[in-house]
Amino acid sequence: MRALPGKSSRQPPGPEPVSRAAAAADQRRRILEATADLVAEQGYVNATIEQIVRRARVGYATFYKHYADKQEAFLALLDAAVERTAYAVEEAYDGEAGPWPDKVGAGLGALLAQVAAHPNVARACLIEAPTAGPEAAARHEAALRRFAPLLRPGRELNPRSDKLPASLEETLVGGVLWVINQRLIAGDEAKLRALLPEALEFLLRPYVGEDEAAREAGQAGAASA
Amino acid sequence: MADEETLGPLPAGRHGFSREQVAHNQRERLIAGLATAVAEHGYQAVTITHITKQARVSRRVFYANFESKEECFLAAFEVVAGHIAELATEAIAPLDDWPHRAVAGSRAVLSFLAAEPDLARLCLVESQSAGPAVAARFHDAVHEATPFLEQGREERERGRELPPSTEESTIGALVLLASRKVAAGEAERLEELLPDFAEFVLAPYLGAEEASRIARTA
Repeated sequence: MRALPGKSSRQPPGPEPVSRAAAAADQRRRILEATADLVAEQGYVNATIEQIVRRARVGYATFYKHYADKQEAFLALLDAAVERTAYAVEEAYDGEAGPWPDKVGAGLGALLAQVAAHPNVARACLIEAPTAGPEAAARHEAALRRFAPLLRPGRELNPRSDKLPASLEETLVGGVLWVINQRLIAGDEAKLRALLPEALEFLLRPYVGEDEAAREAGQAGAASA
Repeated sequence: MADEETLGPLPAGRHGFSREQVAHNQRERLIAGLATAVAEHGYQAVTITHITKQARVSRRVFYANFESKEECFLAAFEVVAGHIAELATEAIAPLDDWPHRAVAGSRAVLSFLAAEPDLARLCLVESQSAGPAVAARFHDAVHEATPFLEQGREERERGRELPPSTEESTIGALVLLASRKVAAGEAERLEELLPDFAEFVLAPYLGAEEASRIARTA
């Protein structure tokens, strides 16, 4: 939107920040949003601090007050995104009073909703994080590990649970993230919600078998439709 | 990948090779040089000087063959991905039944990656940081295995259709599993994954018990 005469175009939308701390938090939020958008649009390597400050509508001094360099801003973005997503997933999982398969369905639904709501952040995390060096890759790894424990109770439902590989949970989470990644690369974020039944069946099958997994998936699909 | 001997520089002076042969040899050397340089420095840090030094050719020769580091990387990726696809095709050729073909193909790929940790890293880890063109090519290459996996659907005894994204999720899960091993510096141990890997591939089609039996006896 074009600024009205006499109004600074630098003014953030919405009410003015009321305190110094709120103003600083608002600056960080804008910097991280701009970082996510630019990294998603043109790749981590090509995004510059000059573009970030312009998009975030902050000065260089403000950028450097919060972050030492582009990588630090990007890592902060990854941390915030992983935290927000994991929180939403865990909330949904814990808040579901039904049996474990329903909890997984709730958590997965929250994950897909987060990605659909913030596709550029998801692109930055899933596609661009590996390009930003080992520290960013380590955070990607940490995110995978964060979701794995939510699947582990499924082992109690499997009579051959002692035969399941130790890496099963991380492998399954990886498969779901891969498919999400494919949809983001293709620009198909509108189709993310529709993944719920398929991805749920994929996650549940190794624990409860195909029939039960398909039944749960059918219910989840009907509920979200 | 060609061995060191075939990749050494041509003797200086008159050597009886045609211009085309020299150019071909230089291109191969640049690709091998990139693989070595990337293994040493990582894609992000590698420079064209690193590559030309390894390949023992001039910058002019580099730019006659490739526009950029990314294009050279893409060429190297194609060579390795093509080689892996060939190994898998050869491994499954003598076998008739799909489950054993799936195990043999998995074994061929994992064995190659375990034997060539630098190339495993190039394909699975460095490709992720080599720009959007390489990343897109990486995903296409991975999904070239999809039609083979889909043949497993004919093995199913249940009438029900599996969800369309089954193969995509399965392949993605396994590629990420292998990539994480390689990124952690454990490429040499990839063959240990074979039983779990094979069981994961077979389970949607054969059921968990039969998948486990075949994966652990093959």
